Amino acid sequence: MTAMTAAIVATSWRTPLGNTRDDVSRRMRAGERAAITNPFASSYALQHVAPIRSAPAASRNDRFLRRMGLYGMEVAHEAFAAAAIPASARYGFFTAVGGLRAHWDDMLGALANQHDSGEDAWERGLKHVHPYWMLRHLSNNVHALASAELGLRGEGATFGGATAGAHAINAAIRALHDGAIDAALVVAYDSLLEPETLVELGERMAADFIPGEAAAAIVLVRAASPAAGALGHVELTVPSAEHDHAPTAPITELMGHLGAATAVVQAIVTTQEQR
Amino acid sequence: MTAVITGLGVVSAFGVGAPAFFGALAEGRSGIGPIRSFDCATFPTRVAGEAPTIAADQLPPSLVASGAARDRKLGFGLVAAREAWASAGCGEHERAASLVIALGLEQAFLGDFEPIFDGTIHWDREPTSTAPRVRFRSPVDLTARAICDELQLRGPRIVNASACAAGTLAVAHAAALVTRGDTDIVLCGAADSMVNPLGLGGMCRLGAPSPRNELDACRPFDRSRDGLVIGEGAAMFVVEDEARARGRGARVLARIVGWGSTQDGYRATAPRPDGSAACAAMLRALTRAQLPAGAIGYINAHGTGTPLNDPAECKAIHAALGSHADRVAVSSIKGAIGHLMAASGAIELAASLLAFERDLLPGTAHHRDRDPECNVDVIGPEPRRARVDHVLSNSFGFGGQNASVILGRPR
Repeated sequence: MTAMTAAIVATSWRTPLGNTRDDVSRRMRAGERAAITNPFASSYALQHVAPIRSAPAASRNDRFLRRMGLYGMEVAHEAFAAAAIPASARYGFFTAVGGLRAHWDDMLGALANQHDSGEDAWERGLKHVHPYWMLRHLSNNVHALASAELGLRGEGATFGGATAGAHAINAAIRALHDGAIDAALVVAYDSLLEPETLVELGERMAADFIPGEAAAAIVLVRAASPAAGALGHVELTVPSAEHDHAPTAPITELMGHLGAATAVVQAIVTTQEQR
Repeated sequence: MTAVITGLGVVSAFGVGAPAFFGALAEGRSGIGPIRSFDCATFPTRVAGEAPTIAADQLPPSLVASGAARDRKLGFGLVAAREAWASAGCGEHERAASLVIALGLEQAFLGDFEPIFDGTIHWDREPTSTAPRVRFRSPVDLTARAICDELQLRGPRIVNASACAAGTLAVAHAAALVTRGDTDIVLCGAADSMVNPLGLGGMCRLGAPSPRNELDACRPFDRSRDGLVIGEGAAMFVVEDEARARGRGARVLARIVGWGSTQDGYRATAPRPDGSAACAAMLRALTRAQLPAGAIGYINAHGTGTPLNDPAECKAIHAALGSHADRVAVSSIKGAIGHLMAASGAIELAASLLAFERDLLPGTAHHRDRDPECNVDVIGPEPRRARVDHVLSNSFGFGGQNASVILGRPR
């Protein structure tokens, strides 16, 4: 594969080790680990977890987004603002979401009165599903909302799965090199801490597996761009087919497994090392 | 390098297999019918483009045993991938292939909830270790993993989750990988299903389906259009470098000559009314293909049959093609097989191959009276005989994710 790089000109993140570059950098240098005892350890096989400590800010987007999506919006806005590159039709947008499982908690009202046979399922509750329920569960809802709020109109795509962050970075780098865009916002978010995920991971992962979560965003420009007051560089990678929750980065030891957010968090950590 | 399609697999409301799909399109049939896979008697919408249920003995036993195969898109994707792989004549030399796949419009795989509705869970009984239970075992890349396992693919797998543009973007991504020399061969495509209680229920509450419960409910570009009809299925392709394909004696079905994507950057819940970002996606595809607008002989439109989408798409076509927009033939197959959501772009690219396979342009099922706002040459319900060299397929997803791909007749 041809070696390609892009310059990182802005970053933002929410991680188990903190929300600012300085906080995370200091804790990483100190070797601090984010894992805490699972508050619900009696219910799950996995005894330690690495959560983001702060809650997302209140937002009108909570009609469409759940917790991780709200973090995704926050980091998208922050990185975009920090880059100070005007939105345009040559500003690309690439997002990465994890292998999120079904969410059931907002469906309880619709399911509580269902009959075993499925008869009258609509009348027994589905008719009460919120009109936006479907939108809240769309894989590209952060992509949709952020592109609209920021006015990003260039090339773009949403990727899913554990290596989605790496594929989103790759797609952005390729679009920059092709000349299709002049800047790209890459946003990744994932949580392995949701109840359904914890159950499944507990059944198939070793007891010392530490599920984590993160949202991270970077703004990329061509490495040779005069606009590149670069914080660092990121290069094209080839994610392995055998990727599921493998310890793909040193940050895993400190922050836990970050799923689809791993590659973008790693890219930001690398900018700190490059400085 | 030039990316070409050498293998095709399809599962749709017309049945299993590309021959069944092409045959029905060539006859101008519609596959829309009453929903049979679950009891939807009290739902506002009771029709869909329902694909045949894939029998358990055609699915990996481990996924059947775990309950994961309950997700209908898993079977559709696997069966289509097998057909594409076999029809391209792929074997051991192709195992290093990458897999680019578009899967699922929704994060929550709705099929996981099926036991609640199909009688396999009894709420009034105590759970036992052997009783069926709701299992949340459908990660977004479940079908991709199953395909890789069965066909023993060793390359990277990439899951595109760009809503209704995902299938088109998956094929574009595959073409980009091959054209840049990043990989020799890619299996790509999409599978999706929302024909289940939560999928249909959620869409009904969103107000997207036509309120009519008639077999001709979806009427793209028609004056009386009032919404979509949900479909399900899969389309998978083998994409490889043209020289490689010729070298191994593979039959080329089409060249993938251009692609482009944009975002509306407008609203999450409505397309940009002037179609300018959709136009930009088409122009990017034309630029990449190094083709003038006049080279396009047919457009397979996104054409959802919703009040807002169709006129916006027609404006985009006019803006992109200029005066040629008055002459190019346009159709949508969503009236015939429904809206396959994440898989819609892939199956519509498959339908576009009819232009090269049989010199036929697919018709627009249930289109009778063209809306003046949709001022393009809409092909009616019957397919149109024509020989064209390039076709353009559009997909415009929720949230304004736009994608266009241009296919060229094999040399």
